[in-house]
Amino acid sequence: MECLALTWRGEYATEQKGFTLWFTGLSGSGKTVLAKAVETELRSRGLKVERLDGDIVRKSLTKDLGFTKEDRDTNIERVTFVAKLLTRNGVAVLCSFISPYRERRTKSRAEIGNFVECYVECPLEVCMERDVKGLYQRAMAGEIENFTGISDPYEPPENREIVVNTAQQTLEESVEVILRRLEELGYLEPEEEVYSAEDEAAVDERLRALGYI
Amino acid sequence: MTRRLLVIGLDCAEPSLVFDRWREELPHLNQLMEAGTYGELESTIPPITVPAWTSMLTGKDPGELGFYGFRNRADYSYDQMSIASSAAVKRARVWGRASASGKRVVVVGVPQTYPPRPLNGYLVTSFLTPSTFSQYTYPQSLKAEIAQVVGDYMLDVRDFRTEDKGYLLRQIYDMTEKRCQLVKHFLRTKPWEFFMWVEMGVDRIHHGFWKYMDPAHPKHEPGNRYQDAIRDYYRYLDAQIGEILELVPDDAAVLVMSDHGAQPMEGGICFNEWLMREGYLVLEDQPEGIVPLAKCEINWRRTKAWGAGGYYGRLFLNVEGREPQGVIPPQEDDATRDELIAKLEALTDPQGRNIGTRAFKPEEVYREINNIPPDLIVYFGNLAWRSVGSVGLDTIHTFENDTGPDDANHAQNGLFILTVPGLAGQGRVPTHSWRAIAPTMLGLLELEVPPDIEGESLL
Repeated sequence: MECLALTWRGEYATEQKGFTLWFTGLSGSGKTVLAKAVETELRSRGLKVERLDGDIVRKSLTKDLGFTKEDRDTNIERVTFVAKLLTRNGVAVLCSFISPYRERRTKSRAEIGNFVECYVECPLEVCMERDVKGLYQRAMAGEIENFTGISDPYEPPENREIVVNTAQQTLEESVEVILRRLEELGYLEPEEEVYSAEDEAAVDERLRALGYI
Repeated sequence: MTRRLLVIGLDCAEPSLVFDRWREELPHLNQLMEAGTYGELESTIPPITVPAWTSMLTGKDPGELGFYGFRNRADYSYDQMSIASSAAVKRARVWGRASASGKRVVVVGVPQTYPPRPLNGYLVTSFLTPSTFSQYTYPQSLKAEIAQVVGDYMLDVRDFRTEDKGYLLRQIYDMTEKRCQLVKHFLRTKPWEFFMWVEMGVDRIHHGFWKYMDPAHPKHEPGNRYQDAIRDYYRYLDAQIGEILELVPDDAAVLVMSDHGAQPMEGGICFNEWLMREGYLVLEDQPEGIVPLAKCEINWRRTKAWGAGGYYGRLFLNVEGREPQGVIPPQEDDATRDELIAKLEALTDPQGRNIGTRAFKPEEVYREINNIPPDLIVYFGNLAWRSVGSVGLDTIHTFENDTGPDDANHAQNGLFILTVPGLAGQGRVPTHSWRAIAPTMLGLLELEVPPDIEGESLL
């Protein structure tokens, strides 16, 4: 499957290998926050990036679906289709979905190919304490059915490429883990160090003497 | 349409000097003007070597490129900065597109080319290179060839802040002489369809010698020994351009351009001193003597904003949730900037006259924002006054730069002069935007202009 797109790195075009970075974890574990931060980093390195987020997709592409197992599987199936199309056209696709079922995630992996699974680990009690959208409180009050972690299961990945723990790491630390792993997997070129500390100081001093800074 | 293009970049070349004041004394540039189309070229915001040259060569504004000057915030910490080298350039420049299409290119001294990247031809980097001991050429073997042609190549003048103006002047001529020699050597020996050379000597002589030339400069003394230094340099450069043009085939288009202009520097606004007086910046202790802000202990919990010095001012807000000890609630970011803009625009000189300061919000002047821009870009006195970042001067106005003597600041408009074989020139035309450059160059090289490059060609 062709997953390349031209992207410019300085004087020459180079080929960007498309991939899907799939964030999975409980509601409130930090999937969207992480995806946004990683998006910023990837864009700054010149990659084409698209983000598919559960909250957003459920208002459009899958607004007809609920939270039964069948509907959740269909939700992920549709998103996987979109991610596959983007990936094979050289885009870095960042998907942030609870995607609680292992079997469905395995199917997504097989369908997309260049698939990097990132388990966003966070204890349920921490997610409940954060309760960023007030959903846990409503779920505990019985107002929401089929709520992952409360009334529905979450199956953690067993063969994921990346694990970050948002209860123990800062956002910057988690992003760093993700970027390093993408470099190791060959989806991201390592950032080069242009200047040694000594050279940077020399250029800095020159710019200061020239009045630029 | 021609398929070859020579670009002569004269960093900081000032339109009023080339088009008007000294036109009759610059026969080769005059000939290009008479045969071609010329006018002022509005630079980027800010009108600084980096990002201006790269914006012009990519068709992307500083926000799209993600760098707003030579040094940019690397993150939202208070002190991590990074230099915008060629590694920061993520969009194709004209020579990259030309290379990719199989055209042969030669690039000499264009800012933001270190470290050098592979291309279909030859490249010599510019003054952001640590030294000539660094790898400053592509291919690597070109270094030895340069040494044979010019000996000790000069990436830039040394000791620019010297008070020994005679020494500085000799440096500027030496640097230009060597670069011109190299350009002529390449024109004689290398095949090319795209050839671009940027000469920094014009910028250096403006900053070093403007007060000697310009009666309007506050420090001008009539009859001084360097009164004709800039004029003589322009004449020398014009002669060099004449020799270079003799080596250029008749089928080549020639584009002479500058990234911004120049104007006399009235003085400096002590940005951080002003912010302290206005209550936006609080230091733990009063500094002893004149000290760069980076060496001061700042009370971040009581600080709303700090500034950076240079030819234009950069203002950074201390925002809650963004900076480590941010104090401005995010929802008040815009109102704080509006408040600062109003105060900045009311700045006066020591005689109480408004100096015409302008301030820009990045999101209002760029098509998109990448990486970390300043929260405000400030033109003190519409660039007639530089921004002084140091503290301890105990004044808002200074007439001595904190980094040494400097006579000129940048002006928003540079220039272009374009001649195309077989195309009648239009003479002097209205000011064009920097956005015209990339489509013009690509068109002259018969390369497709991508739809995401906006701007009307000069053709």
